[in-house]
Amino acid sequence: MQIYLPIAEMSINIFLLLAMSGGVGFLSGMFGVGGGFLMTPLLIFVGIPPAVAVATGANQITAASVSGAIAHGRRGGIDYKMGLVLIIGGTIGSYFGAMIFTVLKATGQVDLMISLAYVVFLGSIGGMMFVETVGSILRNRRGDATKAGRRRRTWIDALPFKMRFRTSKMYVSAIMPLAIGGLVGILSAIMGVGGGFIMVPAMIYLLHMPIKVVIGTSLFQITFVTASVTFLHSVNTQTVDVVLALILLIGAVIGAQAGARVGLRLKGEQLRILLAMMVLVVCAKMAVDLVVEPAEHYSVTPVEVIH
Amino acid sequence: MTGLIRYLFLGCLWGCSFIQVAQAERMVTDLSSHIIEITSEFSGTELLIFGAIERGIPQGDGGHAVAIEGLDYDIIVVVQSARHDMIVRRKEQIGPIWANRDFRTLRNVQGYYAITTTRPLDLILSEEKLNRLEAGLEQLEIEFIESTTPAEKKAFRAGFIRNMKAKKLYYQQEGTISILDGILFRAILEFPANMPVGDYQVDVHLIRDGELLLSERSPLEVGKAGLERLIFKFAHEYPPLYGIMAILVALFAGWLGGFLSKKLSG
Repeated sequence: MQIYLPIAEMSINIFLLLAMSGGVGFLSGMFGVGGGFLMTPLLIFVGIPPAVAVATGANQITAASVSGAIAHGRRGGIDYKMGLVLIIGGTIGSYFGAMIFTVLKATGQVDLMISLAYVVFLGSIGGMMFVETVGSILRNRRGDATKAGRRRRTWIDALPFKMRFRTSKMYVSAIMPLAIGGLVGILSAIMGVGGGFIMVPAMIYLLHMPIKVVIGTSLFQITFVTASVTFLHSVNTQTVDVVLALILLIGAVIGAQAGARVGLRLKGEQLRILLAMMVLVVCAKMAVDLVVEPAEHYSVTPVEVIH
Repeated sequence: MTGLIRYLFLGCLWGCSFIQVAQAERMVTDLSSHIIEITSEFSGTELLIFGAIERGIPQGDGGHAVAIEGLDYDIIVVVQSARHDMIVRRKEQIGPIWANRDFRTLRNVQGYYAITTTRPLDLILSEEKLNRLEAGLEQLEIEFIESTTPAEKKAFRAGFIRNMKAKKLYYQQEGTISILDGILFRAILEFPANMPVGDYQVDVHLIRDGELLLSERSPLEVGKAGLERLIFKFAHEYPPLYGIMAILVALFAGWLGGFLSKKLSG
């Protein structure tokens, strides 16, 4: 059954969209990741204009993270003060990200930038995850124990503008969470991702936040920052397709339920290797598309009407 | 189909009831629809363009018409959308990467252009006459806003037409119209789902013996309808409100989805 998407201005099979979002939802439920970094490239692969894929991806992530954020909030799993600092950084970042996006869209370079950003980020994250997980599997086989101990002080502790975060029981500089939030905001605006895959490791390894508030706080930030991205893209480029976002959400919700059940039965390390490999496959596909000579060198776009 | 035949019949009656002394032939044309609505199920459509030729030559004294024998008529049907400026970009290799580099802006080109005929175009009219009618993809007048060398003009023009053909927005079908009994003709045109919205015009040219006898123009309106129209207009006319709406819809749908899946899973 074909459905016409009003903003993407194209007709596409609704079952293809449901299958794709269901698949991504399944993986995100299984691995406990947002899945935006898989959803947006898939949308581009099936022919959705990249700008619409990114803006709509952000809109869909708002929907996908809100119920998780509420659930974590009820359980006390959100550090609201830290969340607020991350959101301030994220909003500023998303503003600049959306601005870069608008300028590049007008000069015809937005597709290239989206692909490059994906290749760089997916490549480095997937590679790191893969190496780290293989290493930890090898260590486990050999039976080495990881050394526990009090963490050492780093340059991060020396930054000014310190703030007290009661929920996380931390006293750190506000600059670091602002910068992390800002980076995530930029990525969200130009890649259509939530940015959890950057923020969660940053919160754990750079900020040393307690694990129990990391996921909740990250979801809390993602809900607000992707909402800001949705708003900015709606205003700047009119590329948010609500119909597409809703279809993707339906598939994602159903898929995530199934994925979460399967995920419980698999080992953490197997899961991480699988995820790392998938990230690398998507990255490789995008890299190949950039390097292989395209069959058609010319492309046509209508001149943007300035609003 | 019976409705169509009735239209054709009425069309003929209407056509025959007029007397135009100045011209030897008369032609009546109509479309199966003057409005194409893009709704949520839209996946492209077809348009039937039909008409009738009255070949008789009315006599000055109002006597019976005399049919001309032995001469065949040709029909050219051109459907085109409103014109807008478009940008054509060319990918070039920069380091290992293929990226858009050079571009040209085309002034006022059709977003949709389809031509269908009774015979190959070059057999119907001379090149000069085809050019004047802009009949045929080869004959389209394409103007560049930036200064461009003739070789580049040719390359960008060819790239543009290839793109539009690949998207099924431009096409040329020669020899697909047949004229029944030398009187009735019909042409079927296809529109893809990505057709631009706006005002279209449908031109039907009647030709005999290398001479353009008559041209008939009918309007065609293509617009988004229903929810599609509402969403598109809302997004483009009130972007900030649309953004807020998109956020609220996402928040509500996300909350509802979470609520339902919690209920279902226990």
